Amino acid sequence: MTGPAIAIAGLTACSGCQLTLFNCEEELPLVADRFHFAHFPMGISEAEECGPLDAAVVEGCVSTPEDLETLINLRNRSRLLIAVGTCAIWGGIAAMKNNESRKELAETIYGEAAHALRTFVPGPLHRFVTVDFTVTGCPPEKGEILATLSALLHGTLPVFPGYPVCTECRNRENLCLLIERNELCLGPLIQSGCNARCPAVSIKCEGCRGPASEANAAAEMELLLEKGFSRDEIVGRMRRFYPEWDHERRY
Amino acid sequence: MSDVIEIRPLTRVEGHGIVRLYLDGKRAERVELALIEPPRLFEALLLGKRFDEVPEIICRICSLCSTVHRVTSLLAVENALGIEVSPETRLYRELIVYGGQIQSHALHLFCLALPDYYNAAGFADLAAKTPDLLKLGLRIKSVGNLIQETVGGRLIHPVNIIPGGMGKRVSRPDLLKLQGALEDVLPAAVETHNLFASFAAPTRPLPRHSFLAVQGETAASLFGDRLDSSRGRSVAVTNYREALPENVIAHSHAKQSRFEGEEVIVGALARLNLGMKLPPMADKAFIDSRVKLIGVDIWGNNLAQAVELIMTVECALETVTNLLNKGAGPVGPAAVTPRKGSGSAATEAPRGVLIHSYDFDSRGYCTAADIITPTAINQEAMERDLLALAREMESADDAELRHLLEMLVRAYDPCISCAVHLVRL
Repeated sequence: MTGPAIAIAGLTACSGCQLTLFNCEEELPLVADRFHFAHFPMGISEAEECGPLDAAVVEGCVSTPEDLETLINLRNRSRLLIAVGTCAIWGGIAAMKNNESRKELAETIYGEAAHALRTFVPGPLHRFVTVDFTVTGCPPEKGEILATLSALLHGTLPVFPGYPVCTECRNRENLCLLIERNELCLGPLIQSGCNARCPAVSIKCEGCRGPASEANAAAEMELLLEKGFSRDEIVGRMRRFYPEWDHERRY
Repeated sequence: MSDVIEIRPLTRVEGHGIVRLYLDGKRAERVELALIEPPRLFEALLLGKRFDEVPEIICRICSLCSTVHRVTSLLAVENALGIEVSPETRLYRELIVYGGQIQSHALHLFCLALPDYYNAAGFADLAAKTPDLLKLGLRIKSVGNLIQETVGGRLIHPVNIIPGGMGKRVSRPDLLKLQGALEDVLPAAVETHNLFASFAAPTRPLPRHSFLAVQGETAASLFGDRLDSSRGRSVAVTNYREALPENVIAHSHAKQSRFEGEEVIVGALARLNLGMKLPPMADKAFIDSRVKLIGVDIWGNNLAQAVELIMTVECALETVTNLLNKGAGPVGPAAVTPRKGSGSAATEAPRGVLIHSYDFDSRGYCTAADIITPTAINQEAMERDLLALAREMESADDAELRHLLEMLVRAYDPCISCAVHLVRL
């Protein structure tokens, strides 16, 4: 329990990014040995409310005053702030209907009681604080979490590829679901690193890792329209994990 | 004037929760369990989504039980649209649900609950104090995850199980690998039971509650079509709405659910008390620990989960063997014609009864969604037990009281992400 002091916290999310760390079953005892967990409510009961941190690893988007309080506390204390998972980086699943009224969405569920909810439109971390590094995915890949932790021990950060899922998918020689099966696959737009998990089992890319660095959204949109999908359906699909696509963007 | 003891945040549980104990002098007056997970409004997100999108979105409710949410959602969608799946597909779904339960129970028992028994703050302390025990638990957990990844294509939010079937069947070498891993880990599951059987309950008995679980004559363990209570009441899953109404409560983002007007406990302890079918080795462990499991308070839940670890390893092993013997039957996906309809399904999630229910319009788009989760059902019993414990421990010092209250919440293994945002439309 010596080594770099880190915090691991979840905001508005499913705890999947934190669970991904627990899912590194072989490496977890080693991680426990190499880091000092100053704040990790899901895993450890003793927490330090203040004091400097080497890195704060934050899962989830920001949708309540408590989320913001946690985020600002960690940002102030930490040398590095690392956004982990699609929600923290892009808004994620909770943000897919950010174009609709938050009040009405809440009323659909809680009725009259909705006015008591202290919640606002979910947003990614970078909307509120400076983010130093990101590990995307819903959930993130174990390997990328471990690569990040290992790099931290060596005082650096890893470099992840910026190319889209298609590159990895073609390397695996999967059947192309977009071209050969005319499915609404988002592979050409989406950040790789998952080794095309979904197309490898014949499931179209749902876009869970967010945009690749030079995502040619306009071309994908044209291609899908040509294939007969409606604009609403394409836009609805693209919004599932990231509500702010620029559909006219070309590279 | 009253004092308040506040435990904020609850630690070593999934999600964000607070316990507030209101004191009048030394006497515990009332307890609030506030599940303050930020609401993600899932049911509202599902409205207007096509039937095949529903399971993909809804499994994001919670990572610890994403698999069982996904499977329950698939079953409800298929019930609504009249989709039949092949026996192989059913076996794969059973297998992945067993995998999910192995991973969830192992995580809870070893990483979240066990530190309490070794005076450790968490897994990191445990790694220093009893490294072999932590590794034992992680080894079991990894087999649950191997199943989820092999069958589901990904171990959190699995992708390979879809309406009508699967994207891709699991290859024979992969099934053989699962078989080997499960055989290897079975003794570790037995060891886990012996470990948890050696722990005494931390307090005198708490009030007893009724139990509720999903049952079915022909279905595999953890699946079924009825909700049975230990008071002898039985309700078809299709009628769950009348039996399990929900109420909004002021201090929590989760609604509470009672079964036929009575607070009930769901989860591993409830399942064992309601006579879930057990394979041989789990049954032996259950008989050995019977007095610590039957008709007891929630402190028995960790041991019940340990018995279930043996059960799910055995069940998974049997399912893999069935799949290997059956050869390569079809796994679809079956062609689906959208139609107007409603469907519901109930499954035993690691933490207890989970119900999904949806309505679709004639194009197969979702017009209503309703999900009832185990933690929402357990919420009221949890509050009652917390109060009983606080009254029992009036002479205890503050730190000890806090520790025991938190341990009690952990015994329920709450999943707060699940409990919040899942309420009736």
